[in-house]
Amino acid sequence: MKIFPQSIQTLEQALSTATLKQRVHAANIANVDTPNYKSKQVDFQSVLNSTMNNQAFSSFKTNAKHLSFSGESTQLHPSIKVNNSSQYSPNGNNVDMDYEMSNLAKNQLFYNAVTEGINGKFNNLRTVINGGR
Amino acid sequence: MSLFSGFNISATGLTANRMRMDVVSSNIANANTTRAQLVNGEWLPYRRKSVELTQSGVSPFERQLSSVMNHQSTNVSGVTVSKIKEDRAPFTLSYDPANPDADANGYVRLPNVDPIKEMVDLMSATRSYEANVTALNASKSMFMKALEIGK
Repeated sequence: MKIFPQSIQTLEQALSTATLKQRVHAANIANVDTPNYKSKQVDFQSVLNSTMNNQAFSSFKTNAKHLSFSGESTQLHPSIKVNNSSQYSPNGNNVDMDYEMSNLAKNQLFYNAVTEGINGKFNNLRTVINGGR
Repeated sequence: MSLFSGFNISATGLTANRMRMDVVSSNIANANTTRAQLVNGEWLPYRRKSVELTQSGVSPFERQLSSVMNHQSTNVSGVTVSKIKEDRAPFTLSYDPANPDADANGYVRLPNVDPIKEMVDLMSATRSYEANVTALNASKSMFMKALEIGK
């Protein structure tokens, strides 16, 4: 029997992706005046979409009774993409400050929301462990 | 991925922008300095200085480690002041025969500092500093929230 549901692992993955995003935004903001710096973005959505469509990480089953891998579909790795396509200032820098600041705020709210989600899961477990008291 | 690397990246931005502000302060303070350095027995006026910003380097070991740990090789790092450059623009000439540094024709060489340029640079550095503070506060509030998990 598994005490901790699979969804806690998924939420944990979401947290670490949000931390990575935060780091990338911080680096872009720090380098807003660096000549020839190209902004970076965390690309998680495309990895998620391709996984959802291809089912690339699923186990090979020849019988309906075969079991799935225990960690299946949770190993999603976000990648960092460098944006070379645009230019914002004459010194070759392409950090869009408005985009960075709004996404920083969005990422923060997302992180808080996921934290609330994990807290909810743990509170459920605690209620069950204490027998509903 | 270390827990506090987001903090460190923002901190490099704060340091670099404070350095920019220091250099701008020096330029404004020396806007009328006619004796900044002695070259071959002749006093030269102050030359305007500016900072050169570069993305701070990531060591090869660190890059290898992060590529293995996080399945990515793009380096995400902060900013650093690589050097302080001197502006090679010509000095401005001002007619002031009473000045002790005036030449034979009565002209004084004044520093190539443009106060307007300095003020714009100062405001730009201030705004960048504030942006880095915002990013730092965001990181901090996220980690404070993470400490509440399981409470």
